[in-house]
Amino acid sequence: MADQGRDPCPIVIINDFGGAFAMGIVGGTIWHGIKGFRNSPLGERRAGAFSAIRMRAPVVGGNFGTWGGVFSTMDCTVKAIRRKEDPFNSIIAGFMTGGALAFRGGWRYARNGAISCGLLLAVIEGVGIAVGRYFAAAQAPPMQAPMAA
Amino acid sequence: MSWLFGKKKEEQPKVEEVREVTFDLDPNANSAASFLNADLDTTKLHPMAGLDAGMEYFTLEGNETIYYDGLLPSRGWNDDLCYGTGVLYLSGLGVGGFSGLMEGLRTVQEGAPAKIKINHVLNTITKRGPFLGNSMGVLGFFYNIINSKILYDIRGKHDSFNSIAAGAIAGAIFRAPRGTKPMLIASGITAAGAGVWCVFKQAVFGPPAEKTPLE
Repeated sequence: MADQGRDPCPIVIINDFGGAFAMGIVGGTIWHGIKGFRNSPLGERRAGAFSAIRMRAPVVGGNFGTWGGVFSTMDCTVKAIRRKEDPFNSIIAGFMTGGALAFRGGWRYARNGAISCGLLLAVIEGVGIAVGRYFAAAQAPPMQAPMAA
Repeated sequence: MSWLFGKKKEEQPKVEEVREVTFDLDPNANSAASFLNADLDTTKLHPMAGLDAGMEYFTLEGNETIYYDGLLPSRGWNDDLCYGTGVLYLSGLGVGGFSGLMEGLRTVQEGAPAKIKINHVLNTITKRGPFLGNSMGVLGFFYNIINSKILYDIRGKHDSFNSIAAGAIAGAIFRAPRGTKPMLIASGITAAGAGVWCVFKQAVFGPPAEKTPLE
């Protein structure tokens, strides 16, 4: 079943860039807020947390945004080439994303990044399918009546 | 490799499905009743008959109001946030990357090996691009959350005032740690930017509209 909650392909890349960036900002704010708070001396904890957020949260957001956007671009590319919608799209896209983002470290890093990203996406897709099966088995939806003539 | 690239399309002889209901006059019939009581399934006469075998149903969950304003239709503050932040982040990344490219090409060492030259240019690009992209992205994040969620929830409508106020607040938050004067300057700049965007949007895309797709 195709996902109707998302926009069609070329335009969804912008959505994914922005969505991943926003997620990274929120996550980075929480993460570096706690980290800056804990790493500051007593009396400067609030200021420390604040400056850590200001320094680091946009970087986390940028990293997330780049990853999400490149992944979405690759996903659309793979979909356009294969003309199919199945879990292998995301796995291939994850493989290519991991490779592309680690490319400046050299071939070794690109290969390792590609493989680990592909595995990560395979795990995510596998878990998604398992959860979907579990819920589908738990409550089978009622059959829809055939179209009346 | 069919699992990777998909199966090759096999040429299959297309079998035309014949679905006909004949109304041959039965010579043995001696009245209209035998014709009318014929074993006739009326559902087969419908042009869409037989299509429901192996058909996927299209489930529409909810029926959100779609708001048309600017470049893209929006299903709510969620969409506004994603697209607005994405556009600003990408444009910041692009402009910053381009200025980094220019700077790298200008300051590149003459007579250095090609590998070092390429590396230098890539370094300046990755120094400038993400910096501007992240700043623009954060600005867009604040602006869109304030514009589409906070101010919309307070005032209950989308308009230019929302947008300009959101721009002013976003700029103020963005530069607040630098002191009062930079804060006010940044606030003014972003409010002016939001105002320009509002005027441009109205001029190019027309007035905003709300639509509900299924009534």
